[in-house]
Amino acid sequence: MDKQNNGNILVVRDVCKRFGGVVALDHVSLEVPRGGVYGIVGENGAGKSTLMKILSGVYIKDEGTVIFNDKVVERTTPFDALKNGLSIIYQEFNLVNTMTVGENIFLGRFREVGGMRGTHRRARALLDSIGSTIDTYATVGSLSASEMQMVEITKALSFDSKLIIMDEPSSSLTSEELKRLGVIINQLRDKGISIIYISHKLDEIFEYCDVVTVMRDGHVIDTKPVKDITRAEMIAKMVGRSIENEYPPRAHAVGEPLLEVRNLNTHKLKDINFTLHRGEILGLVGLVGAGRTEIVRAIYGADKARGHEVLLNGRPVKIRSPRHAKRAGFGLVPEDRRRQGLILPFSVEKNITMAALERLTRYGIVNSANEKKIAERQIKALAIKTPNASIKVGNLSGGNQQKCIVGRWLELEPKILILDEPTRGIDVGAKYEIYVLMNKIVSEGGAIIMISSELPEVLNISNRVLTICEGRITGEFTPETDSAEAIMDRAIG
Amino acid sequence: MTNTVVSRIWKAVSKQKAVLAILGMMALMLFFRTNFYTRSNWMNLLKSAAILEIVAFGVSVAVICGGCDLSVGGTLSLGGIVAVLLINGGQPIWIAFIAAIASGALVGFVNGFLVVHQRTEPFIITLGMGMLLKGVAQQLTNAHPLTSKVLPFMKISNMTFFPNFLGGIPSLVVYMAALFVLFFCLMRFTSFGRNCYAIGGNYEVAKNSGIRVVGIKWTAFVISGATAALAGVLLASQMNGGSSVYGDTTGMTVNCGVVVGGTSFAGGVGGILESFIGLFVMQLLNNCMNMLAIDGFYQKLLTGILIVLIIGFDCFFRMRKRQRT
Repeated sequence: MDKQNNGNILVVRDVCKRFGGVVALDHVSLEVPRGGVYGIVGENGAGKSTLMKILSGVYIKDEGTVIFNDKVVERTTPFDALKNGLSIIYQEFNLVNTMTVGENIFLGRFREVGGMRGTHRRARALLDSIGSTIDTYATVGSLSASEMQMVEITKALSFDSKLIIMDEPSSSLTSEELKRLGVIINQLRDKGISIIYISHKLDEIFEYCDVVTVMRDGHVIDTKPVKDITRAEMIAKMVGRSIENEYPPRAHAVGEPLLEVRNLNTHKLKDINFTLHRGEILGLVGLVGAGRTEIVRAIYGADKARGHEVLLNGRPVKIRSPRHAKRAGFGLVPEDRRRQGLILPFSVEKNITMAALERLTRYGIVNSANEKKIAERQIKALAIKTPNASIKVGNLSGGNQQKCIVGRWLELEPKILILDEPTRGIDVGAKYEIYVLMNKIVSEGGAIIMISSELPEVLNISNRVLTICEGRITGEFTPETDSAEAIMDRAIG
Repeated sequence: MTNTVVSRIWKAVSKQKAVLAILGMMALMLFFRTNFYTRSNWMNLLKSAAILEIVAFGVSVAVICGGCDLSVGGTLSLGGIVAVLLINGGQPIWIAFIAAIASGALVGFVNGFLVVHQRTEPFIITLGMGMLLKGVAQQLTNAHPLTSKVLPFMKISNMTFFPNFLGGIPSLVVYMAALFVLFFCLMRFTSFGRNCYAIGGNYEVAKNSGIRVVGIKWTAFVISGATAALAGVLLASQMNGGSSVYGDTTGMTVNCGVVVGGTSFAGGVGGILESFIGLFVMQLLNNCMNMLAIDGFYQKLLTGILIVLIIGFDCFFRMRKRQRT
């Protein structure tokens, strides 16, 4: 045995990973001891998932050393990692919904375990060993989220895993199911299996983990035994980020109420009520999946919602489709640029003029001269960096793509602009430009609803912040006076 | 100026393997002593392609919207039968035209409803619709060919325009050209056409941008059906009658030609010109093989090889391009 490892199952030393110009991991080091639960916490985008994907072989590290089970791992593939005893249970399960539980556990290894009968016999034994009563002949699609998780865990055990990484294991579980997960985790620990537990939910970290590492912006901020750290400390380490001139001065243009949303309920949202003022930037803060995007999509008419009231300037408006929303003066810049925001086969020009096309049309014919003018105007106004207006939009950088979508709406002079993760995946300079642009929009009398997973961004840009947790609004804050810790606390729930 | 024109043409050619195939075939024919390079052969070629090309124009609209329409074969045959039945029943020709086109539009309306509102898979639903229509056509004709007894109707597709130009242009070629211009402008210059591309390119984005996604996609299917029925009437006029056998292979041939031309089933790319070229390749190949007196069994084989090669190469180069960026 290598003495340096001190009995650690996994040692990560100075691992770096870059995506284009973005540094996702910057000299990350971890030491995970054998037989124990190791917690990793951090905001969205802190680099947790990237690190796990490197360990499992989905990504390849740029620099650094990974030593797993006393062997240096240079390159690996997800299946090799599994065979070597490292399995990952992702938030979205990797199961074939139409196949049975037993088949899923031994997928691709039927011959080794003695055909179908052996498959089900062994699956039964493994499930029994963790005290689960799931029928191995049941199709996975008919199971609940927690049962699927059991199947994933059983699958990990079937590979004789020495380390199981659980990425946000509680995100789809009810509190009852969560308790059962806790029991399983303790059983695994008793068997001497190590677990890396990734979560933003701090309560779980305190309950299950022995040691915790806080990550932020691709760095390891601190690693401590859980008993030596308080919740407040942990939040401070997750949030704390030196804020220099990353943000322009906050706009102060808040006027009278413009939009009022009352009693918005869907299967994910509970009693959403809020008001948006003219000239205001309203930030929605919450974890991914808390219902932030669902709120704006329901208001915008992109998702179905019933029974809620939307008042615009005090008058009720009915918005049943994005078309109605557009007419009422809304604009939406969605979170997934490439899938929901851009038409990739289209040119920059066509992407910009899409929403305004009706205004350019007479007798059904598009006035291409005016179309060019509009595109040129927005390219100039937003300083979109593109060689010309007719190249495919996919060739632009992320920030410039985002500006094209913003420009699409600005041409219509919307009263309310909804920005869902407007700065995701774009570099610092482009971010600054987007913030300046937002300030300009509100100072000209527009209003903005902004969703962002980057807390500092929301806190430095918005006039008011609503925290969303599990489909409810859990708090309202003024970021100028309220502390980031207090806001994060409510957002985590 | 010429430089850019040349480079643009070269770009279009290299992007479109179908154009390359046309040039290749034309070059090949230089080595054989046939009637390939004669005026009458080219007129014949265009004339025989005309009906399918017209169907393809309509189908392209549906395909650009992200759908496809395999029911056009059935619609084609139905349109012809409806027209011939009405004309034989003593109705004026224009009524027969309108009724036939309306029947095609109705088929497209039902297709559109099923695809847009019921979210069915367009491939399967239009395939089924095509079979259904063949059944209807057989019922209407007792599975016998119908013959028209009206001479003016027959003349529509069998006369010649511009007798002084290149020795006369077959009327079908003129209709095809007119419809080509119409559809080309529809897809290139109108907001309807633009929105079709947007919907095919990304349905979600189009919807979020306030485009009437449902109405437009639905209309695209109606256009496809109506155009196929119109082609059916022209075919009936050319053949002097309607039959339930017409159009048996049309659906597959046309959709295949559209894709060969570069209008992908995924939607959002391609165009009327591309579809024209795609269908033309297939007709040209037929013509060449006939000229070279190739056995009918080998003709099918060669057609298949050409289609697979063109689409395979197109995808291969697109994949390489994606990987490079």
